[in-house]
Amino acid sequence: MKISLNWLKEYIDLSDITVDEIVSKLTMSGLEVESVENQIEMFKNFIVGFVEDKEKHPNADKLSLCVITNGIEKLKVVCGAPNVAVGQKVVFAQIGAVIPKSGMKISKAKIRGIESNGMLCSESELGLSDDHSGIIVLDQSSKEGTSVSEALHLNDVLFEIGVTPNRADALSHIGVARDLAAIFQRELKLPKVSIPQSTKNINELASIEIVDVQNCPRYSVKVVLNVEIKESPDWLKRSLKAIGLRPINNIVDVTNFVLHEIGQPLHAFDLDKLAKQKIIVKKADADSLFTTLDGKERKLNENVLLICDGEKPVAVAGVMGGENSEVTSTTKNILIESAYFNPSNIRKTSKYLGLSTDASYRFERGTDPSNTVYAAERAAQLMTQLSGGEVVEGVIDIYPNHIFEKEISLRFNQVERVLGYTLPNESIKNILTSLGFEIKNISVAAITVLTPTFRPDVEREIDLIEEIARINSYDAIPTIAKIAIPIGEKVDESAFVDDLRNIAMGLGFNEILSIPMITEKAANIFGKPIGLLNPQGSEMGFLRTSLLASALSVVEKNINVGEKNLKLFEIGKVFLKVNDDLFTFSDFIEEERFLFLLSGKISEKEWYTGERDFDFYDLKAAVNECFQKKVLDNLLNDSYYQSGNKFFDYFFTKASGKTVFGTGGKVKKEVLKQFGIQQDVFCFEGSVELLKSITPKEKVFTGLLRFPKVMKDFGFIFGKDIPVKNVVSFIKKKGSSILKDVHPFDVFENESIGASNKSVAFSLSYFDAERTLTDEEVDKDFLSLIELVKKEFNAVLRGK
Amino acid sequence: MLTKIQSLTAEFLQALENTKNQKQLDDLRLVFLSRNGSIASLFEEMKKAPKEDKPVLGKELNCLRNLAEEKFNFKKTEFEELLTKKSQQIDLTLPCRKVEIGHKHLLTQTLDEIKSIFKGLGFSLFEGPELESDYYNFEALNFPADHPARDMQDTFFVNKNFLLRTHTSPVQVRLMEKLQPPLRAIMPGKVYRNEAISSRSHCMFHQVEGLCVDTDITFAELKGTLVAFTKQFYGKDLNYRFRPSFFPFTEPSAEMDITCFLCKGKGCRVCKHSGWLEILGCGMVDPNVFAYAKYDNEKYTGYAFGMGIERTAMLKYGITDIRTFFENDVRFLKQF
Repeated sequence: MKISLNWLKEYIDLSDITVDEIVSKLTMSGLEVESVENQIEMFKNFIVGFVEDKEKHPNADKLSLCVITNGIEKLKVVCGAPNVAVGQKVVFAQIGAVIPKSGMKISKAKIRGIESNGMLCSESELGLSDDHSGIIVLDQSSKEGTSVSEALHLNDVLFEIGVTPNRADALSHIGVARDLAAIFQRELKLPKVSIPQSTKNINELASIEIVDVQNCPRYSVKVVLNVEIKESPDWLKRSLKAIGLRPINNIVDVTNFVLHEIGQPLHAFDLDKLAKQKIIVKKADADSLFTTLDGKERKLNENVLLICDGEKPVAVAGVMGGENSEVTSTTKNILIESAYFNPSNIRKTSKYLGLSTDASYRFERGTDPSNTVYAAERAAQLMTQLSGGEVVEGVIDIYPNHIFEKEISLRFNQVERVLGYTLPNESIKNILTSLGFEIKNISVAAITVLTPTFRPDVEREIDLIEEIARINSYDAIPTIAKIAIPIGEKVDESAFVDDLRNIAMGLGFNEILSIPMITEKAANIFGKPIGLLNPQGSEMGFLRTSLLASALSVVEKNINVGEKNLKLFEIGKVFLKVNDDLFTFSDFIEEERFLFLLSGKISEKEWYTGERDFDFYDLKAAVNECFQKKVLDNLLNDSYYQSGNKFFDYFFTKASGKTVFGTGGKVKKEVLKQFGIQQDVFCFEGSVELLKSITPKEKVFTGLLRFPKVMKDFGFIFGKDIPVKNVVSFIKKKGSSILKDVHPFDVFENESIGASNKSVAFSLSYFDAERTLTDEEVDKDFLSLIELVKKEFNAVLRGK
Repeated sequence: MLTKIQSLTAEFLQALENTKNQKQLDDLRLVFLSRNGSIASLFEEMKKAPKEDKPVLGKELNCLRNLAEEKFNFKKTEFEELLTKKSQQIDLTLPCRKVEIGHKHLLTQTLDEIKSIFKGLGFSLFEGPELESDYYNFEALNFPADHPARDMQDTFFVNKNFLLRTHTSPVQVRLMEKLQPPLRAIMPGKVYRNEAISSRSHCMFHQVEGLCVDTDITFAELKGTLVAFTKQFYGKDLNYRFRPSFFPFTEPSAEMDITCFLCKGKGCRVCKHSGWLEILGCGMVDPNVFAYAKYDNEKYTGYAFGMGIERTAMLKYGITDIRTFFENDVRFLKQF
């Protein structure tokens, strides 16, 4: 919202306060000044110039070469405007001036070979309007050499203020002035309304009926007759232009002016266009059509509140007037609407129509229901001053749903309880009074006030405490250096995944954070996905059902920039539908997952090794190291699925008991193809929740072995289809109690042992914690195992 | 005979001196020290010498033999050591074998830092769901339906009841439903806003929420705690200010600004020429929120705060485009 300092000064004396101080005090009391535009500074190097001579530019048809006097000297200036003429007073940008529109700094420059010592400006270049048809021609009374700020009355300071949604009261110049009055403890001067009124009876000229009193608690009307529609005077046009509004005509401009002065949105109807001179406030029919004054036909719903005349709708209440009742150049008689509408209804309509106006913006935040008559009278006064019309005596003021001032008590000790410091009761009283609160009662312990109706946000004791805190500045609240912390158990719900992250990092994985919004197609691969009602396009229409689904996009992007060797992990949420319609939290699952992903090469060509692609065993190694040893220290069991499934060519699962907490393998080419990935991807994805649910084995120290180990190796030729895991388990099972570990090594396949065979060697370690083993007992067990393996797997012993 | 011994001694030492490699040393052994070598022949010769000379000659010859053997062995060891040294010599300048530690995402690292500071201040850590109900995300946080305050946060809806949380504040409500005061907790996590993706804003980002409730919590404690955090995180010498703002779930509400550390408060593009950087929103918990949580307003007061992680990390590490975080280019990931 733009606020003009000159305008503010109509309501409060700020003559001795600097702009910087105003900015800082406003910001520090809750009306954040986001930017400041100081016109005097902006137009510092712009002065009134006099065009003394003009000739054609020798090298360009459309340019003129002018001689400009600035009161001191004559300067040659090249000008391209078609309207420049000898004898004009013009806006002359001197060397050093910065053009507001473009930010260009004027310097001495050769234009088509001729030196130019400045520039003559258009309204557009000064940022005053969009008019760039020609340069500004000033009034002859302007004296050359004087500043343009003075000549054009561009001596304002404009504040861009970010008003928070609770501060409906601050959406006007008087609203901002009221805060300043409280901050600087000065008087707020409200414009007085006194107008000569005709003796005509307003009730004979118009009538009002409110059907929907819930959504229109108050509707007030003034009537002005015999107006002459014309351009507004300079002061009014200037005020509106300063805050970025386009002047239209004296009547419409007055309604806009009062809106920005008082904060009450007004609408001026052409009284003669209202059938039966009647206003009826009621809900629209569903699917009815209405053309607003921006020329757009809009489809309404049954929640939209309409202003109708005796026959038809004439305005969408609180949002925008209709084309059919708009003030035009031939309008004679005006009906001024000044109403209070239900904020939530206006907001619904504004959202539904996708139409936000200065009026709806204020109504949906809550205007002052007590102010409607005052605002209508203020507008009537200005209209008659500017248009020569006569104001009809009296108002029609229908207020069926009275909104009363609320009484609130503030216990003085609560100020300290909330803020941590206290201020004198007298200061509290002064702050509240200057903000418009009426003191009803004051005792040693408490103060009771009536809250003005322009402060719908102030309803409770705490709200009064905030008013006091902000006007007295938050700087006054102490910053304490010691706090009392209760002794007790501290919880860290992220500790588990933090640990997982640290392990993954230690294993060389890089963490990614991918966006969980993905395409429907990708989301569908891994489960029943949840869609968004209002996505940012179909690329991001659904929530991921698997971390892999969002991580594959990351893989693809990296491959595209040449980063092909990827070792990634992610910890994040996936979302899965349980039931088709989501009514409660049990209709869907939000699950935290972890993902390990490998793609590309584990090693490039190196002096010590050749290049090698990541493979299944690299994935298995990382997963084992992470979960088996670090996170759980439990006996986990793997299951292997050679023939794969929908996503994997082959895969394995990890489980503790019956709890399968993750699955990993080689991702199918068809899946990768959807993401444009051509290289192999191995990944393991699992549920953090399930992992957490597994109770880790309690750690107990195992005594260190004090007797020698005996190592024995044997190798066999097996059929290819026999899993090594089965042989290992078999040996462990059949071996005697002194056999403690079996480890496969030296696995190979080649023609010499037959195409359908493989050779596997095993290293067996024998020991006993209590004694040294004898060769005999080891050999006995070892030899018997050879026979058992041969028999069980139809294997042939290698070597010896 | 004695002269012969002396000259052989000299001859041996000279020969040994001239020995350059193992082969020559082997030859030398054959010439002097083998069974038929020159020292052995002198022992043979001594047998023919007069009896009275034998003790002296024997002593001298033994001396020679001992000396020769000792010198020979010494030289032999020297050659052996040289040989092993040569075979063991490696090129130390070759590049190292590849061992790579992974990298946590910069946002995780930033969050870790924030977490550790608040843990030090006695805070616990809780988490909550990202797919949230309208009740927790808005209603219980005192955002009335059809209130313009809802416009402050563009929301992704799943349906009428469910949405992607727009802030981490719903976890406050969940926490208060679950636990009784005293409470002192931070609640980090992902949040979503339906904003156009650009260098400055994204539809997903991370926040850290904070909540503290007890019988004696004041705005002064809020200021003290957040100033302590800010100084630890951004640096001791920073200036700060608390400025009134509005959040439906706190009253009074504030935004905390710190001196722009890029321009030291002089005004630059990053701070929009104000000299200040907004780093977090905060305030005293609104009594309406306590009412939803069924906490006694007359007994308890509390404060809450929330800060964005991305912006913090961008300021701290000079990242100018928020999208960098979610592109997950490994060249970016490995930088931190």
